[in-house]
Amino acid sequence: MRRLVFSIAVLLLLSFADRDKVDPTATEGYCPTPAMSEATLLAIEAENGCLDMAAAAPDGWPPSWDTATIAGGDVPPSRVVSDPYPSLHSVVVDPDRNRVFFSDPNRHALWSYDRLAASKGREAVQPLTSIRGPATGMMFIAAVTIDAAAQEIYTVDNDIGDRMMVFPYDANGNVKPKRVLEVPHQAWGLSISHERNEVAVSVEAPREIVVYRKGAQGTEQPLRTIRGPKTGLGDPHGVFLDGTNQEIIVANHGNQGGRQPAPGDRPARQRGSRVAEEEPIVGGRFDEPSIAVFAADATGDVPPIRRIQGRKTGLNWPMAIDVDLARNEIAVANDGDSSIRIFRRTDSGDVAPLRVLKGPLTGITGPMGVAFDRKNGELWVANYGDHTALVFSNTASGNVAPKRIIRNAPAGSPTVGFGNPGAVAYDSKRDEILVPN
Amino acid sequence: MHGIFYDHLHDEIVVPVALGGAVLTLPGGADGADPPLRVLQGPKTGIVQPDTLYVDLVHDEMVVESGDNAVLVFSRTANGDVAPLRRIGGPNTHINNIYGLTVDASRDLIIVANRVEMGGRESNDGILIFNRTDNGNVAPRAMISGPRTGIIKIRQIVADETRGQIFVTVKNNFEAYNVADNRPSPWDPDKTGFIGVWNITDNGDVPPRGVIKGPASGLVWPAGVAINPANHEVYAIDSVSNALFMFHTPEFFFREPGRTAGGAR
Repeated sequence: MRRLVFSIAVLLLLSFADRDKVDPTATEGYCPTPAMSEATLLAIEAENGCLDMAAAAPDGWPPSWDTATIAGGDVPPSRVVSDPYPSLHSVVVDPDRNRVFFSDPNRHALWSYDRLAASKGREAVQPLTSIRGPATGMMFIAAVTIDAAAQEIYTVDNDIGDRMMVFPYDANGNVKPKRVLEVPHQAWGLSISHERNEVAVSVEAPREIVVYRKGAQGTEQPLRTIRGPKTGLGDPHGVFLDGTNQEIIVANHGNQGGRQPAPGDRPARQRGSRVAEEEPIVGGRFDEPSIAVFAADATGDVPPIRRIQGRKTGLNWPMAIDVDLARNEIAVANDGDSSIRIFRRTDSGDVAPLRVLKGPLTGITGPMGVAFDRKNGELWVANYGDHTALVFSNTASGNVAPKRIIRNAPAGSPTVGFGNPGAVAYDSKRDEILVPN
Repeated sequence: MHGIFYDHLHDEIVVPVALGGAVLTLPGGADGADPPLRVLQGPKTGIVQPDTLYVDLVHDEMVVESGDNAVLVFSRTANGDVAPLRRIGGPNTHINNIYGLTVDASRDLIIVANRVEMGGRESNDGILIFNRTDNGNVAPRAMISGPRTGIIKIRQIVADETRGQIFVTVKNNFEAYNVADNRPSPWDPDKTGFIGVWNITDNGDVPPRGVIKGPASGLVWPAGVAINPANHEVYAIDSVSNALFMFHTPEFFFREPGRTAGGAR
């Protein structure tokens, strides 16, 4: 059964004073959100020359409002719940340049750190670069990956935006991307194969993997799409395009929408459209989460060549995945039980993981991202449920402490967890506010 | 999930699961991986990709957006693969893409936040009002829509039955982004979102009776709205700033709508 997470906001009322802990000097190029206090907001905006995101409507729009009698107006909030710090989503490492990159859907940003950076105590670590602001085009971003040879950073918009954006390594501040590619609505995962010169993108609601030419931009169409009932794809998230073994590996939550997915040999779904009208209603379904493996050349409605699925796997909300091609291991960020699960790359069926990293010593909390650093024998974890990234030995197992911790907020800072929230309700019995993500 | 309802009578939380074509009902105090009490899902339900819902506690019914351009009405306790009691959908209804649903049980109305994007900033978004027991391809009894409403990219909607008001979130913006622009931005800085308040009896192209809008409000892309009349509060969730805003607005709850002056720009 699917786990539901509600952000119960009443316990997380952050004061304006708390929000003023943001250091404007550490926000070069950043355009702040209105959840910050006015003084902080204005200081950062003045420094970075941001667009005024909260400007009033120009004269004459909407028509007749200026002559209407309308109650309310520009009412300041009496309280605000917001997280002023980044939320770490996905992680990728460049061991040759000692850089590590994170995506941040809370502040619509990409952050990079020195690979060996670590918090000595409870303090936050200063990033090397931060890409953020309206010119970046980043909205509710999900995965991040890199083309180390070209020194490019890739990220993708998820529920809004519908773009893949590519930045140079040295990008910093409120800068335009180097390339932009329109991708289907609800894209989540990204993976580049240098051997194949391709980029694979997972897309949640249409349950598809779309593969583009590396370097594609604008409205360039995918080379091929894996989609349809035979694929078993269900709310896919993490994806790894393996150019060595010529496979595509996909983490599935298992959610199946009420309408049968269109076969993937049809044109990709267009931006802004919803479920294809012509497919029959078959009813929604919750399949068990899985790791599905397809041939790298697979296209259309084809079954996977292997699938890891079942109770022994412990899969529960599998998010990002990464593959160590030397050790032939798949790492899964298993958000549902705050663990990292390591499987053999060739595993199939209902199998237990080789190793599980889990427990209070690990500090793993709602992991969304995971990445191997083969050169240095390390495994990186991005905690969405905490303001930390953790570094372990790539053979670590069980309830063990990380080798290093990168904090992007002082230890103990609450993580609100809002991610493109779309609704709110008031629980009058408990005097609580409910926010679904 | 883009919808949620708290049922204070039965202490239950009801949520649509768009990606699973389902409606889940959970205990009011659910936490972590607590299982749902009921799961409404399957081909008979007609539920495809539900974004929003509402529970009518007076008539013991659950009103669900199908994800298929229709309003589906079930028994509140419907469980499993069961057909809806009623369905409002078809060209006469003007229903296109539902982002919010609410019910005024005392006036026997179903109120729909309807999205009709026409490309760019053109839209026919609006508020559609139906009789609660309507069924089939029926015209709405009222439509609040047009340029004077300011409604572009409508989202969640909630009714204040006591005062006969409708609170609506309006994003008022599009994900317009052109990297070739000198200063490209995903958001038009001149078009920030707002909370709009209309009377339940409004119809046509009419301005709101009340708004929360402007730089001090902090609202950029408000996606969700809830009200707490006892505390004279409006709650708004914003999907750009990832923030929950609480507004103390007694003028929306004490005074008759439309009787107070305000700088609503």
